[in-house]
Parts: sequence; structure tokens; C-alpha cells
Amino acid sequence: MAALPSSDRRPWRDRWFPNGEWVLLFALVLEAGVFSALGPNFFTLANFFEVVRLSVELGLLALALTPVMITGGIDLSVGSMMALAAVVFGAAWRDAGLPAGVAIALALLAGCAGGALNALLITGLGIPPIIVTLGSFSMFRGIAEGITHGAANYSNFPKALVMLGQGYWWGVLPVQLPILAVAAVAYALLLHRSAIGRTLYAIGFSPAGARYAGVRVARRVALVYFLSGMVASVAAIVYVAHLGQAKSDAGTGYELAAITAVVLGGTSVSGGRGTVWGTLLGLFSITILQNGLRLAALPSELTGVLTGAVLVLAIVLGRLRGGVRTRVAALALCAAIAAAAVLVAGTHGWLVRSPRQGARGGHRLVIAMMPKAKGDPYFTSCRTGAEEAARETNVDLIWDGPTGLDPAKQNEVVEGWITRRVDAIAVSVENQAGISTVLRKARQRGIRVLTWDADAAPDARDYFINQATPQGIGFTLTDEAARLLHGQGQFAIVTGALSAANQNQWIAFIRQRLAAQYPRLKLLDIRPSDDDRDKAFAETQTILKVYPKVQLIMGIAAPAVPGAAEAVRQSGRTDVYVIGLSLPNLCKRYVHDGVVQSVVLWNTRDLGYLTVYTAARLSENAIPAGATAFLAGRLGSIEVRGDQVILGKPFIFNRANIDQFDF
Amino acid sequence: MRHSHRREISLAAAIVAIAAIMALAAPGFFTWGNARDLVMANLPVLIVALGMTLVILTGQIDISVGSQFAICSVAAGVFAKLGMPTPVACLAACLVGAAMGAANGALIAYGRVPSIVVTLATMVALRDGLRWVTEGAWVQDLPRTFQWFGRSQAASEAIAMAIAALLAAAIGWGLRNLAAGRAVYATGSSAQAARLAGIRPAHVIFAVLALTGALTGCAASLNAVRFNQVPANAGLGLEMQTIAAAIVGGTAVTGGRGGIVGTLLGVALLGIIGPALTYLGISAYWERALQGGIILAAVAMDAIRVRTREHGSLAVERS
Repeated sequence: MAALPSSDRRPWRDRWFPNGEWVLLFALVLEAGVFSALGPNFFTLANFFEVVRLSVELGLLALALTPVMITGGIDLSVGSMMALAAVVFGAAWRDAGLPAGVAIALALLAGCAGGALNALLITGLGIPPIIVTLGSFSMFRGIAEGITHGAANYSNFPKALVMLGQGYWWGVLPVQLPILAVAAVAYALLLHRSAIGRTLYAIGFSPAGARYAGVRVARRVALVYFLSGMVASVAAIVYVAHLGQAKSDAGTGYELAAITAVVLGGTSVSGGRGTVWGTLLGLFSITILQNGLRLAALPSELTGVLTGAVLVLAIVLGRLRGGVRTRVAALALCAAIAAAAVLVAGTHGWLVRSPRQGARGGHRLVIAMMPKAKGDPYFTSCRTGAEEAARETNVDLIWDGPTGLDPAKQNEVVEGWITRRVDAIAVSVENQAGISTVLRKARQRGIRVLTWDADAAPDARDYFINQATPQGIGFTLTDEAARLLHGQGQFAIVTGALSAANQNQWIAFIRQRLAAQYPRLKLLDIRPSDDDRDKAFAETQTILKVYPKVQLIMGIAAPAVPGAAEAVRQSGRTDVYVIGLSLPNLCKRYVHDGVVQSVVLWNTRDLGYLTVYTAARLSENAIPAGATAFLAGRLGSIEVRGDQVILGKPFIFNRANIDQFDF
Repeated sequence: MRHSHRREISLAAAIVAIAAIMALAAPGFFTWGNARDLVMANLPVLIVALGMTLVILTGQIDISVGSQFAICSVAAGVFAKLGMPTPVACLAACLVGAAMGAANGALIAYGRVPSIVVTLATMVALRDGLRWVTEGAWVQDLPRTFQWFGRSQAASEAIAMAIAALLAAAIGWGLRNLAAGRAVYATGSSAQAARLAGIRPAHVIFAVLALTGALTGCAASLNAVRFNQVPANAGLGLEMQTIAAAIVGGTAVTGGRGGIVGTLLGVALLGIIGPALTYLGISAYWERALQGGIILAAVAMDAIRVRTREHGSLAVERS
């Protein structure tokens, strides 16, 4: 059953689809059919290249993992390796002042070193790959975080480098596409056309058997892990060029996405089976699914649900071979799935289109709005206001955004909206340097661009809906802490993720305010909560014991404040204040119980409302350049200051007023 | 079995080494309050890791536990809000977990789909499904009797610790002394041999995955009642923590070797590294790098020890 397309005398199905990859081809055709019907501009050459372009980094990792998994191993460290290589590149280029070429060489060297370390521990000491790479998974990203303190973000790279990730040959063909193509061909030659490739399959079937057959098992296995580290660093360079920034959160979660693509492509997790061709099919059936859902404005959570379903179905259907009855059953099942998909697509298309024809007869404005993270309570409450404004102004609102921590996701979503040709885009920016390039591209295509909640580069958008500047937030929080402690005392911060751009900006302003105004207020420590309430709880417990003199805990992420508050309450300490930036609803109980003194925020519903209102007015050209105010529905007259729309100042919720708000 | 005992000694040595450093550098680490907080913080990981150990012993893996944990937490909250008494709501959440585990188990054992594929699929599908349904909203306004089962904090912490200890002891004892426990080892060592010995490996694998789901539900409930609201994104990264605890604890990823004592030590080692580094005043920015480094160092030391003992043999051990 070895996966060699070259071996003859086998039926064509076994030669081309040794591991049931035909199911994926079927899924791809199905996806293409359904999304052509549903997604505007899905079935175009430009979109095809767009999908390929966004698959390059993931594709490189998936290619690198294919031989690793064929030998029966696994490499969980590839995503973290990307982060380390990206940071090495950024530090070498900016901090050490080396030319970009040398910096790239150093980043590749880091990748080789990381791969070699994995290889050494796995083959030299005989430790199972999953343990080794689980350890290096933490260590590589940890080193990247340590070098940059989570915050350093290298950007403003030379034009030639940025072209590598953002440019096009002859206006259509993405520049990075040849890299993926070369890597795919190289891996195909290695696996399917070389003696080394044969030995990798042999090792996957039986390491002992391979050794008795004279294969130098350790050397071959070391090779695939070494290559995996190197290719991950190549992916890191493409990623850096693509986003225009290098940061320690590069490639978060890519290892699982790549493994999913490889496994979907028919590679056996226990080794011995798999093809490069299958991996590519697996990769594209996932990325096309994501792209199609985005263009059809279907909820992106469906990606996970459908990927899961395809994963299981692909394996189950791929198993069915032989007997006439199973073949008929498989065909019937496929036909049923196809019929169901077409039915869903048809009804959905009908539902989406029929109300549109009624409204105003002509073109209805489409406004696309992106939170930093979908499913975050803060953004969910912004969405309520956004939908209210969309109803009042009679526009279609698309609400989509990242569901995980991958910083490249926001760019992908905007790229999808550009392809779909929406009228206005409003983004809550996670990574300023990264997203600005793609927002400029949107503006060039005549789309109105707004930023809300957090700003991009000023030339990348028309207006910023300013609910509060990082300075305003940082200063307000510090002033509030100083007020409670009477200007003197010790406090600690519980932040979101260590690499979260906004939180790091606020922390910088908090430090600035402390130095300028409150020299006797001491910041003891900054601990991460990773936006997980339970982690914020545990970290606060530790802070309370390590620093018994701490008098105030400042949580600067929505789940951090209730987590810290519960920890303070359970510790029985009544002399420790808790303040922070969070949603009133999450903190109400603690505010009433006197554990949390004050919560700093703005009216999130009004923020969503104002964003959509401004986008609608702007698309109708109802806000002339140089305007100083405009009417925004129930909010009345709203001030425009230059290129900023001002919502108001940060608001302090406390026991006296918190019950008046419900968000 | 002999190999796993060696790993346990290495682990215990690593824990003693960390404890010694802490005794010299930060004696405040050794207080009852801190011990209690550390145990409570790692209780969910411990309970899920018990199930994970069984799963890995049978030669399978379950990476969907984090998503199951989130769903069970929300389920416990929703059931309590519907008016169920808290203990009943927790039991119902365990049943929800058992159902999800059973679905995984059925696909793996009877559908013969590899466990990593099945649980990778359920991991993304369950997490995204929950996000879709809740839109990230927390379960709030729980009845006052939800937190700590409406009892005192000390009493219900004692209950939670007793449950965890009981589960660990029962599973550890059962693995060694019950026919079902031996069947787990037999299935993981060689499904073929197990079948010839009259064991049905499919039933064993199904049962183990369903049990892991139930344990995940139990861990989620015991964690949820420590608070008065339930977030919709609990258990992120739990699969990595529990797998790491089990395999660092000496359970072989190929199945058939390992045990509960090793897993307990693994949970302890991974659970104290983070707080210990905070006590030592090490910046959070370097913490992850050190954690990874310590894990690698611990397993590398262990591998070197085994190497030198089995001097001369060319053990090419690979999963």
C-alpha cells in the first residue's frame, strides 16, 4: 500500500488516491459549487490566487509535516519555530542593524538550529517526538517572548522584502506562490522519487524492520526534523513579509492547522502512508472552505464544525473500498451529502437575496465590521449596537473576525471582503503594522475604511471612531489607582496575552504616567491571563502571596477583572483594591460586594452603533471632508476632530452608577 | 513497567530539586495557603489527566478534552440556572461529558477512525460550535447556591479534593488490580494479543474514552463551582497540559506502559514550575521558555539515565 504514484500495474484509483484522497477532490468540487452559488466573486481567477496566497505559510508547514508523520513522528513545534525565526529576523534587522538578506539568513539558521535540536533529542536520546516537540513548542515561543518582552513589533521592512509577501507578478500571480510550488515539488521528489523517500515509508511501517534492512534510521529521521525546522523558518519569512511585521505571536496555532491538513490529506498518523498530493488537497479543502464561508458571509464558526465533519467523513469514506455494496453505499452517501449541500446553499441564497430586492430597489449598502476576536463578551456587546444602527440606516451588516489568537486572521478576513467588494470596512485593529497594508489596498479599491476600538496607521483609513485613546485609558486607570491609594503604594497588573498589542500600549502609558505624576506608586509585576478567567484567578492568587504588601490589582482585560476579584475575595484580604478595564455586567456582583472599586470602560453599545452609523453616512458621501460634526441617530450630534470621530471619554463605573448599564 | 518506575524517580528528583531551590530562595512558597491554592488550581488538570492516562495507555489520544471542558462548564451553569440543585447540575454535566466521550469512543473503537483524527475533529467542531451558540456570552446570574454548592469555601474545597483523591486512588488501584485495568494495559501493548486473550479491545477503548469524557465533566463542574459565573472559553490548552502531564509522567505514547503515580508527579511538576518562577521574581516574559526548557531537560536527563543503564543496547525507541 505504499503511496507511490509511479508504481505501475495498479488500478488508476489506487495509483492516484492510495489513501482515499478522492473524497477530498469530491469535497473540493462540492465546495466550489456551493460557494460559487453563494459567495459573490468566489469563482474568479483573482480569488483563486488569493486563496493560494493565503495558504502559503500553512502549506509550507503542512509539507514539512508530511514526511515527519510518514515516519510515524510528529512535530508540534513548527508554529513556535515560526515565531522564533520571525523575531530573530526582526531583531537582527532592526536592533543589530544588519541588512535584510543577512537577517533572513540568520532566521533560517535559527530554524535549522531548532530543527537540529529536535532531531538530536529524538534520535540521539531516543525520546518520543511528541514529548520533545511539546517541550520545544513552549521553549521556542518562550524565547521569542523573552527576546521581545511580548511587545516589540518589528515593522517598516524594506520594500523588496514586503513585495515577497504582498506583491504580484504581472498583477495577478502572488510573489510567494513559487516558494510553495518549489517546496511542494521538492518534497514530492524527496518522498516519491528518491531512495530516501522509500526509506521514510519503511521507517514509518516498522523502524526495526527498516534497520534490519540496512536503513540508517536515526540519520533519516533526523533529516526530516531538521528540514521541518528549516521550512518553518522559511514560512516565517513569508509570514513576516505578508503581514509586514515580526512579533512573538507569529504562527499561533499553525501546528494544529497544519496537522489537520496533513491528516485530512490521508497521511496515516501511525506512519507509513501519505502523499504530498494528498496534503495539498487537504490544505486547499480547508482554506477554500474558510474563504468561501467568508465570501458568503456565513458564520466563520462553521469552519471548525465543517472541518471536523469533513475530517471524519474523509477517513470513513476513504476506508470504503472493495465490494460492490460498499461502493454503492459510498456513492449513495456522497450523493446525499451533495444533495443536502445544494439544498442548504439554495435555500440560503434564496433567503439572502429575496429581502434585498424589496429594499429601495437598487443597491443596498454592505458594511463589514470586524472585532478583534469573535465571541469575546466585549465585542458581542458592541455588536448589539452595530446591529441596531444597521436596522436604522437600512444597510446590510457583515460581522466577522478571528475566532482564535492567530494575528494573520484579520488580514485574511479583510482580503475576503475586498474580493467580495463590500462598501465599507470597519476594523478593530489587533496589529497596527500588519493590518495597515491590507487596509490601504482596500482604500485603493474604492472601499471606505474605518477603524474602531483600536486604530491603524492614519493613512490606512478614512476615520477612526475614537472611544478612548491608549493614552486616555492608561492615564485614567493610573489616576484611578492613585486616587484609591492616595498616591502611594504598590500594585500589580494582570494583563491579557503577553503579546497583546493594545494591552502593551496601555502598560507603556501607565508606566509613563507613574514616572511623571506618581513616583511613590510602585508597579510590582505584570502577569498574563491569556484572556482566561481561571488563569487570571490563579495568577492573582500567586501575586497576593508573593507580594504580601500589594494594595491594588489592576486587570486590563475583560476576563481578568472578575478573575482577580474572585481571587482577592477568596483570599479574605479586604485591604486589596481591584480595578480595571472590563465589562460592567461581568463585574456587577463584585462591585456591589465591594471587592471591585471601579471599572473603566466606555459605552460599548454606543461604540458599535456609532461605527455603523458613520460607515453608512460615509458611504453615502454624507460626511464632507473637513466636517466638524454630523448627526448620528439616537446619539445626536457627534464631534469630528480631523480624521477622528469622537465618542467621548472613558467612563468610570462604580457602585453608584453600574446598575444603569446592561452590557 | 520497569521503565516507567525509573521515570517516576527522575520526576520526583526534579520536583525535589525545585523544592530545594524554593526552600533556599523563597521559603514563603511552603505555606498551607499556597499548597491549598496550588492543589485547587491543578485539580481540574489532575482529574482530566487521569482519564488521559487511561486513553494513552490504550494507545489512543484525546485532544478534544479542552473543548469538552468548556461545554461541560457551560452545561453545569445552564443546568443550575434552569433550577437544578447544584450537585445534580454537576452530575448532569458529567453525563454531557460522558456522552461526548462516548461519541469519540464509538467513532474510534467501532468506526475504526484513528483517535487523533476523531478528537482533532471534535476539538475544533465542539469549540467552534460552542462559540457559535453562546457568542462568547458568559453564564451569569447563577443562583447563590451555585458557588461552593452553597456551603462554606473550606468545606467544598475539602469535598473537591476528596473527590479527586478518591478518583486517583480508585483508578490507580483499579489499573493494577482489576481485570478491567489489566485489559487497558493489554489493549495498549498489543490489541492483537489482547483479542487472543479474550479481551475485546474495541470495548476497552470505547469505555476509556467515555470515562475520560465523564472525568472531564467532573473536572469542569468542580472548577465551575469555585466561581459565581461561567465563562464560555474555559479549558483552552487543557489537552496540551494533560497530555504533557501524562507523558512527562512516564506513560508511553505508544500505549501499554505507565501509570497513575507518574501522572500525579507529572501534574505536580508542571503545576509548580509556573508559580515557583513567579516566587523567584522571574519575569513572565521568560516563563514559557523556562517551562519548555525544564520539561526538555527532565526528559533528556531521564533518557540519558536509561541509556547509560542499558549500555550497549541500540534501543531505537520511537513512537
